[in-house]
Amino acid sequence: MIGRILALIIRYKTISFGSFPRLLSIFYWPSVQILFWGFFSNFLIENNSTPFIGVLSIILSAVVLWDILFRGQLGLTMSFLEEIWSRNLTNLFITPLREYELVLSLIIISSLRTLIGLTPAIFMANFFFNFHLFELGFYLIFFFFNLIAIGWSIGFIVSGLVLRYGHSFEELAWAIIFILLPFSCVYYPLDSLPLIMQKIAQIFPPVYVFESMRKILIDNQIDFQQLYKIVILNSSYLIFSILFFLKMIKSSRNEGLLINQGE
Amino acid sequence: MKNCVVKVSNLVKIFDKRKIIKNISFDVSENSVVGILGKNGAGKTTLLGMLMGLILPSSGKIEILGKDLKKKKNEILKKINFQSPYVDLPKKMTVEQNLYFYSRLYGIKNFKDIVNDLVDQLKMKDLIKKNYGSLSAGQKTKVNLCKALINNPKLLLLDEPTASLDPETSIFIREFLLKFQKKNNSSILITSHNLDEIQSICSKIILLKFGTVVSDGNLNEILKTKNYSTLQDFFLGQG
Repeated sequence: MIGRILALIIRYKTISFGSFPRLLSIFYWPSVQILFWGFFSNFLIENNSTPFIGVLSIILSAVVLWDILFRGQLGLTMSFLEEIWSRNLTNLFITPLREYELVLSLIIISSLRTLIGLTPAIFMANFFFNFHLFELGFYLIFFFFNLIAIGWSIGFIVSGLVLRYGHSFEELAWAIIFILLPFSCVYYPLDSLPLIMQKIAQIFPPVYVFESMRKILIDNQIDFQQLYKIVILNSSYLIFSILFFLKMIKSSRNEGLLINQGE
Repeated sequence: MKNCVVKVSNLVKIFDKRKIIKNISFDVSENSVVGILGKNGAGKTTLLGMLMGLILPSSGKIEILGKDLKKKKNEILKKINFQSPYVDLPKKMTVEQNLYFYSRLYGIKNFKDIVNDLVDQLKMKDLIKKNYGSLSAGQKTKVNLCKALINNPKLLLLDEPTASLDPETSIFIREFLLKFQKKNNSSILITSHNLDEIQSICSKIILLKFGTVVSDGNLNEILKTKNYSTLQDFFLGQG
C-alpha cells in the first residue's frame, strides 16, 4: 500500500515541481495576491480610510487562508485531471492500485502543493508588511486543516464529475471556488450579506472559519461553537465527497468510461 | 490437460439497453497465444475491458488464473498487464520515470535492474531519458510494451500491439513477444486487424460478431474444417 501511494506521490511531484515554469505556476499567484492586498491595505491605512488598525492583518490573513482552500482544491483536481489529460487512466486502473490509495495520494499531493505554494507568499507578507500569520497561534493549524479539507471536498466532487460526465465539467475545476467565494465571507462579516445569502452561507464551513479568524484578530476571542460547527460540517462534506468520487469511479466502470478516456 | 488462465462464463454487457456482449463463454489455456478477432463494434475492446476489471459485466463470471475477478481483482491485477497504442503513459514524464512509476505500482522490488534489462531487450536505450510526450507513435508502442512486461505478467492482453510500427519493428516485436511467452510460460490474448499477424503467432482464435462468439478453437483446425487456406479468407467468409 505505502509503495503504491509513494509511486503516485513521486509521479505527482514530478508533474507539479518537475520544471521551473510548473513550480512557478504553483507559487506566483498567492504571492501576487499578498502583494496586491498588502499594498492596497497600506494605502487605506495611510489615507485614514479605515478605522481598523488591524485591517492589514485581517486582510492578509484572509488572503492566505482563502488561498489554502483554493490551492487545496486545485492541487487535488489538477493532479487527478492530469491522468485524464495524459490518457493514462486505463493503465492506472489496471494496476493493483486500490481506490482508497488514489484518494490518499491525491490528499497528500494537494497538501504538499498548498504548503509549497503558500510559503513564499507568507515570507513576502512578513518581509513587505511585517505581517505575522502565526498571530493566529494554534488556531492557524486548525484553520489550515479545515480549509484544505474543504478544498479536498470540492476537488473530489469536481474530479468525480469530470471522470463520469466528461470534459465539460473541467470548467468547474476553476469556477466552482469563485461561486463559493461570496458565501464564504472571506473579507467581510456574515451580517453584511443579504438574509437569503446568509442562510446559504451557513450551510458551508468556510464562513465559520473566516468569522472565527476575525473574532481572534479583532476581539482576541474564540467562539468554540463555531469551531465545533466547522469540524462537523467539514467531516460530513469530506466523507460525502470521497464516497461520491468512489461512486463516480464505479459508475465509470459500469459505463465503460475508463477505457480510452483522454484529451 | 492444461489449466485455464481465463475462463469466461455467460458473460453479458449491456450499455444503454443495448447488448454489446451477448452471453459469451470461452476459455484460454495456459502457455497459449489466442487471437480475438472481429470487425469494428464486435465487442473486442469491451471484452478486453471486462477481463481487466475496467468495465463491470452486467452478468456472467470471469475467472483469471483460477480466481474470481469480481472477488480477487487486486490479486489478479498484479499478474496481468495490458498494452494498446490507444492508451498513453504520462506525457510529462520521461520514459524512465514512467517505467519506474509503474514498477512501483506493481510492487516490483529490484525494478531498476528489470527496467534496464527490458530496455536492453527491446532496444530502446536511446529513448529512456526522453519525455514520453515527445516520442513518435512507434516509439510509444515500444515503451507501452515495455510497461506491459514490467511485472512479468502471466496473462498479457494486447490491443493491436504492432499498429503504427514499421514492418521491421513489427517482426521484431512479434518475435520478442513469442520468446517472452515461451520463457515465462505466459498466455497472450491479442486483438488485431492484422490477420497475417494473428495467423503467424496465434494457436487459437475467438471470432466475435455482434457480441457473440461465432468461432472458437484451434486456428489450423478451424481453417481445415471450414476449408480455408488463410485466416483472411476465413474472416471475410464470415460476412
